Amino acid sequence: MFSSIDEVIERFATNKYIASRRIATVIYLASAMGKPVLVEGPAGVGKTDLGKVLAAALDLEMIRLQCYEGLDEGKALYEWEYAKQLLYTQILKDKISEVLVGTQGLAQAVDRIAAEDEVFFSERFVLPRPLLKAITNDKRIVLLIDEIDKADAEFEAFLLELLSDFQVTVPEIGTFKAKQIPLVILTSNNAREMSDALKRRCLHLYIDFPNKEQELEIIRIKVPEAAEKLADEVVQVVHALRKLDLKKTPGISETLDWIKALTLLNVQSLDSALVDETLDTIVKYEGDVRKAQEELKEYLRRVRTRRGGTAAAGPGPAGSTDKDLLN
Amino acid sequence: MEDKLVEFANLLRQNGVRVSLAETLDAIGASEVTGLAERDLFRAALRATMIKRASELPVFEELFDVYFTGLGEIIKGASKAVQDALSMSDQDFQQFLDEMEQMLKNHGQELSELAKQLLQNNSGQLERMMRDAARAVRMQGIQRTIEENYFARALARALGFDKLEQEIKELREELSRLDLGAALRAKMEEYLDRRLKMLDDIIRKYVRQEREKRDMKAREEQRMNQLADKSFYYLSDEELEKMREAVTRLAQRLKNIIAVRRKRMKKGRFDIKRTLRSNLEYGGVPFKLRFERRKREKPQILIMCDVSDSVRNASRFMLQFVYSLQDLYSRVRSFVFVSDIGEVTEHFRTNDVKQALDVALKGDIINVYAHSDFGRAFRNFVGDHLGAVNKRTTVIVLGDARNNYNLPHDWCLREIKQRARRIIWLNPESRNTWGFGDSEMERYAIHCDLVEECRNLNQLYRVIDQLVPR
Repeated sequence: MFSSIDEVIERFATNKYIASRRIATVIYLASAMGKPVLVEGPAGVGKTDLGKVLAAALDLEMIRLQCYEGLDEGKALYEWEYAKQLLYTQILKDKISEVLVGTQGLAQAVDRIAAEDEVFFSERFVLPRPLLKAITNDKRIVLLIDEIDKADAEFEAFLLELLSDFQVTVPEIGTFKAKQIPLVILTSNNAREMSDALKRRCLHLYIDFPNKEQELEIIRIKVPEAAEKLADEVVQVVHALRKLDLKKTPGISETLDWIKALTLLNVQSLDSALVDETLDTIVKYEGDVRKAQEELKEYLRRVRTRRGGTAAAGPGPAGSTDKDLLN
Repeated sequence: MEDKLVEFANLLRQNGVRVSLAETLDAIGASEVTGLAERDLFRAALRATMIKRASELPVFEELFDVYFTGLGEIIKGASKAVQDALSMSDQDFQQFLDEMEQMLKNHGQELSELAKQLLQNNSGQLERMMRDAARAVRMQGIQRTIEENYFARALARALGFDKLEQEIKELREELSRLDLGAALRAKMEEYLDRRLKMLDDIIRKYVRQEREKRDMKAREEQRMNQLADKSFYYLSDEELEKMREAVTRLAQRLKNIIAVRRKRMKKGRFDIKRTLRSNLEYGGVPFKLRFERRKREKPQILIMCDVSDSVRNASRFMLQFVYSLQDLYSRVRSFVFVSDIGEVTEHFRTNDVKQALDVALKGDIINVYAHSDFGRAFRNFVGDHLGAVNKRTTVIVLGDARNNYNLPHDWCLREIKQRARRIIWLNPESRNTWGFGDSEMERYAIHCDLVEECRNLNQLYRVIDQLVPR
């Protein structure tokens, strides 16, 4: 486990994830207190990544459950392998007749069978799904429950027992208690509010968009081949875009995609014609693309007038780069 | 510490954050893990355990600063001020304190606890003593500014301030009798004086801070309640802005409630076909049962807002509210009218709500400076737009029904009612005035399924609540 918050930050950084002190504190608390973490925030800020990186940082296996509407107990917790049970019953037909030898009447036969029913309702025929796997694992693992806001409210009820006591009850067999308490991360895009019962059992972490320095740092780590100047311009524009009222605000993953695209196309700075064509890496809706183009023009105009101003003041050390920009 | 955390949880609750007992226990556990030394760490621990909604974060940050800053900081600040006044560096100050301690030991006279801690600059102990005294005089009951003086005096008395003054005086006399260098003696005398004054300042600041904490709770509550009950007519610009935010928040809250409501739909009948199909892998043995699901219908809304001067604010918020809830309805069409009637649906589709509202209310669509003529507006609507109304549409009319003695043309409403699912009329005027003067409310009410007063945010919320799908 983690011995300090700084260790969390360090290990995350080794795995290419810039964790702010706030994030690191909550992770440290979660591992020290053994409580799950509910991570909320806008799309694309690194919530799912947090789970993956946590597993990598602690060198643990990760079990992932992707939630969607209609996800039920059978797909998430466990299911009985009916087909297997049927198959075994068919194959063992003769054996079953042997067991029933000597019984008088239906009642006795049923009793005889009932005495054997642990065979067919045993762990052998339970198909464990992610949540049960997480509980019955021998070693400690990280359980990532992704996009829990997409699942419906009934699903949350299954999780309650799991998250507070780390045990799962299968009516026919019994209760499975976790041998090692897993580290649970739940992510949510805030499409709907989680029930209070669920929130009560978790620590809460809200990840917002990073500030400019943090985002630059992230670009440096994840896209090291990007030019520093280009990265700076990209961050400025993206931050301006986030202040606009877009249908989908660009997240960190969009920023990274954009700068990767620009670097691949060998673009040096944002006033190139190619930039327009790459805009759909950061904004994904028609109306938003238009707004992004306007914002980009606005930005270039501002930069030009600013640089133009210093150029008018007389050729200085920045003289040569000005000419590049104005061309 | 636990008391403090419990009190903090209470403070949060009073400001609208629902902190449960279990969460408070978690907070206590978390603060044990992080320790209390580092402020940011402690803050993060509390934030992670007590705040479970992003919208509550700003409230938490504000209250944390007010609640946990406090006495410790005041005392440290004051000590620093004394040190600066004596213009000593940190090292010199420490040395000075050691000499002071020496002198006091040599003095032999028994000093009170307070004097010792004060003169030796033990901030921690001083803080503890002050807190104990504050509890003894029941400072948590302070409410108003005028009570500050009373509590300051009570606190001073509980600490033993009077005795302290006496002691300092004696110490000064002692000093003059001792064999010290002139400079050192002057410094020490100054130190004694300043320390005394410092304690006086600290007491006052502490009392003021406690009062502000209590005051803030009350003020915040008052503000929120007032806004929700304030009539739309009498809103200043600043309140308009706040109202806008309140509407957005209400809309979000309503959406959340709806999302939960929907899920509780009853299951329909047993669906044989689907059951057989999904159990094919088991040879038709029905291990999994499937039921019919009642289709949820998203209703359609058609809203007609009177945007004449008198009703403009109410219309503004109504439109904003309806558009914030857009995803709950399959179709929202909006019209504004004063005497003419014009459709503004497109503006809401292409622009964001704020811009669209400005366009709708400013006069680009229709003439907003005309006199209200409901009859004419309805007639034009029936003439041009009746096709927009079908049996799934809920028609909402927002207006004060003051027709300026023009022809009411209430047959139009009858036409609309025949085609629509229902008509709801929202009147921003107080119910007592309906039907008086040029108000045609009673005539129009005959054709409406529901007529409601809609003067402030609470009423608006209740109305919208009825409109949303179950």
